[in-house]
Amino acid sequence: MKNEVIVLGTGPLANRMGRFLEERGCQPVRADEKPRSDALALIDITAGMEGEKKTSLLKWEQNLSPDTPVFTSVLHLTATQIASWLQHPHRVVGFSPLFFEKWDRVEVSCPLQAEGDSRFENALSLLAKWGKKAEIVGDEPGLVFPRTLALLVNEAAYCLQEKTASREDIDLAMKKGTNFPQGPLKWADDVGIDQIVAILTGLHRELGDDRYRPASLLRKMYYARYWGKAAGRGFYEYGQMSDPATGEPR
Amino acid sequence: MSEPRFEKLAVIGAGTMGIGIAEVFAAGGQDVKVVEISEQVFQNAMSGLKKRLQKRVERGKIRQEFAEKVLKRVRYVPDIRELVDADLVIEAIVEKLDVKQNIFHELAEVTSPNTILASNTSSLSITSIASAARHPERVMGIHFFNPASRMQLVEVVLGAETAPSLAEQVKRWLKELDKEPVIVKDTPGFLVNRIARPFHLEAYRYVQDQIASKEQVDRIMRTAGFRMGPFELQDLIGIDINFAASVSVFEGNFYDARYRPHPLQRQMVEQGAIGRKAGRGHYSYEK
Repeated sequence: MKNEVIVLGTGPLANRMGRFLEERGCQPVRADEKPRSDALALIDITAGMEGEKKTSLLKWEQNLSPDTPVFTSVLHLTATQIASWLQHPHRVVGFSPLFFEKWDRVEVSCPLQAEGDSRFENALSLLAKWGKKAEIVGDEPGLVFPRTLALLVNEAAYCLQEKTASREDIDLAMKKGTNFPQGPLKWADDVGIDQIVAILTGLHRELGDDRYRPASLLRKMYYARYWGKAAGRGFYEYGQMSDPATGEPR
Repeated sequence: MSEPRFEKLAVIGAGTMGIGIAEVFAAGGQDVKVVEISEQVFQNAMSGLKKRLQKRVERGKIRQEFAEKVLKRVRYVPDIRELVDADLVIEAIVEKLDVKQNIFHELAEVTSPNTILASNTSSLSITSIASAARHPERVMGIHFFNPASRMQLVEVVLGAETAPSLAEQVKRWLKELDKEPVIVKDTPGFLVNRIARPFHLEAYRYVQDQIASKEQVDRIMRTAGFRMGPFELQDLIGIDINFAASVSVFEGNFYDARYRPHPLQRQMVEQGAIGRKAGRGHYSYEK
C-alpha cells in the first residue's frame, strides 16, 4: 500500500509538514506533482486569504476517492465554508497547522455538513495513528490557540505602533510579568505574520466584532511581506530578506 | 558615576505590595523607610516578612545574617512629613484615585522638587495621579508584580508630564537591584495587564459560544507552553481581581471592543465563585 499524502501549500509550515509525514512513513506529495487517486489523505495548510485555496482544493478533489479525508487549515475560514466548495463535503476536517509536528495535540473542527458522519471519526483515527490527540473544538476561524495567540500579538502590535514600548520590552514584559512561554512579537515571527493576519481578518469577517480588527502595523507588514523569521524580517530582523514561500533571497 | 544614586528610599503603605517592595530594596542592601498610619499593620507585615525570610534560611537559600540585615534595613515611620530628605518614594496604598492624589499632593509639599515620587498602581493613570502634585515631571509609575521579591519584571511608567530622563535613570537602578525593568508610556493596563487581556477574555467567549469547554481551553493552552490555562490561572489570581482589571482597562479605553469584559466573568463574581480563595471558581477546590 502506498502511503502518499498530498500537501497543499508552500513555506515553512508545508516544509515542516512534509518532514513530519516522512518520519511517520508517509510520502508527502507536493501540489505541483502529478495528481494521484490513491492518496491516504490530503493536507491543505494554506490559510486562504488570496482565493488560491478554493482553486487548488477543487482541482485536487477530482483525483481523490470520495472517502479520502481532506485536512484543511481553518486559520482564516471555517471548515463549513471550505466544505461547501467540495463535491464531497463530509470528508473535510478543519485543523490548525501551527506547531502541528511539535505538539502531541491537534485542534480540529467538524464542518456542519459532516456532523454525525462516520468519515469524520475515521479521519481522526488517521491523526491518532500519527500520534496526535485530536482536540475537537467549534468551527470558527483560528480555533482556540491560534485565535488567542493572534489576539495577543494584535494587542502587542498596537502597543508597538503607538510606541507605548519597544519590541524588546513588550516581549520581555510578557515573559517575565506573566510567564508567557514566548514574547508575543517573537512568537508571531516564528508562526508567520501572514498566518496571524489571516486569523485576525478571518475572525473580523466571520464574527464582525471590532475586537478582531488587525492593527494597521500588522496589515502593512503583511503587504510588505515582512512575514517573520522565514522571510528574514518580521517584528525583528533575521539576516537577509527572502521569499517566505520558497526561501529564495529577495 | 555622576548620576545621583537613590540612597534615601521610602515606601508608603505596608500592605502585601508595600512590604514586598521594601524587601526588594533591603535585600539589595538599601535602607528603606515604610510609612504606615497604623503601627500595628506595619508590625504584622514585618512579622510576615520575618517568617518568609526564616523559611528561606531553613531551605538554605539565604544566610541567617542576611535575613537579619534585611529586617534591620526596613524602618517604621508614622508620618510622611518625615520624608523631607527622601530621594525616591514609592506609594503602594489602596487603588483609589482620590486617595492616591491626596497622598501625592502631600508628598509634593513635603519633599524637594527633585525627589522622585512613584506609584505602584497597576490600573490608575500616572498622569492623573501626577496632576495632584507640584512638579509632576518627577512623578512616575514603578509597577512591581506580586510577589515583588520573586517577580523580576518592573514596569517603569512615564506619565504625560514625566521627565523622560528619569526612565533610564530608574531603569539602571532597578537593574542593580536584580530586576528586569521595561519602560512603558502611561496607557490603561500598561503592558502586561493590557496585552494579557485577550488571554483571559477570549477564553470566556470560547465557552459561551460552545467552541470549547474550560478544561479543553486550559489543556490547549498548556500544550502551547503556558504554565497554566486562563481558567486555572484566574482561579489562582482571583476572578474578582481579574474582572476588576478587565473593567479598568475597558473603561480606560473608552469602551473599545478589544477590551470588552464578558458577562460570564461578572456572573462568577456575583455568585461568589471567585477562585481558590473561595473554594470554588471555574473549578471546585472544596475538600
